[in-house]
Amino acid sequence: MEFVQLCDRVEIDGVAGPLDVAALSGVWINSNPDTNGIARMEFSDAAGELSVRVHGIGPDGLIDWGLAPVRLFAASPKSRATAGFTCTYDFGFAETRLQAMIMKGLIVLAQFHKFKDNSERMEFFVREYFAVVHDRY
Amino acid sequence: MMEFKQSGHLDPALTDPATRKLRSDKLTGRWLNTNPDTQGIVECTIKQDGELFIVDVFCAGLDCPIHWPTCRTHPLANLEEEAGQRTFALSATFGFEFMTAETYIRVNKGVLVIVLFASFRDGSKRSDYVNREFFYRP
Repeated sequence: MEFVQLCDRVEIDGVAGPLDVAALSGVWINSNPDTNGIARMEFSDAAGELSVRVHGIGPDGLIDWGLAPVRLFAASPKSRATAGFTCTYDFGFAETRLQAMIMKGLIVLAQFHKFKDNSERMEFFVREYFAVVHDRY
Repeated sequence: MMEFKQSGHLDPALTDPATRKLRSDKLTGRWLNTNPDTQGIVECTIKQDGELFIVDVFCAGLDCPIHWPTCRTHPLANLEEEAGQRTFALSATFGFEFMTAETYIRVNKGVLVIVLFASFRDGSKRSDYVNREFFYRP
């Protein structure tokens, strides 16, 4: 088995199935009510493919970014539980790459914004925190 | 009017020439993993070459660290780091025949943080995974 770091040198027994996506299900809200980035994310599962719908916050309210397919990540090569995801939105004038980790019940979302228009805006990075909406308490 | 999908896209700092001249010395240099027993990235060096940054990582191997292919990457403005720090962050991707490692690299309060998303394409049944490690300046 090929590896370029020791933590990847593992043998997997049995048949590898899809990752358990339970940790991501539901609606996730930005912990910062004053964000000028992403306000909320909703995950949906259709035919075994997980997608996310992102809403950004604009000067006049929420902006629906639409659905994007996500690539799922576990916490280790041997784990089968989802611990993160990535996806990309191409808006034409800009491309936004999302890279997320789940930590202690929060999604820590890294955002990479690259502009493709001639606005001279610099590429930028933002990290935000999201909590799942629940009615337990 | 500039196009946007969130208010952050309209941040005046993004077109401020001063943003492109943010201090890079917080990122550049030699960094060692805070965990001496790591089985992942052992060491990272970051250099600036004009508008690009050059990232070299060395990972734990059987006998000695494995030097990954050097990555040259553009900086991203990191405007909202904790404690109001303004600096650069980096996105660096390392490609191998059997695996791709997508990383983001940032400094927070003097600690370099590397988050790595590994994707396998070799049929080894290994799960794609995400890992986060911390580095200090020796």
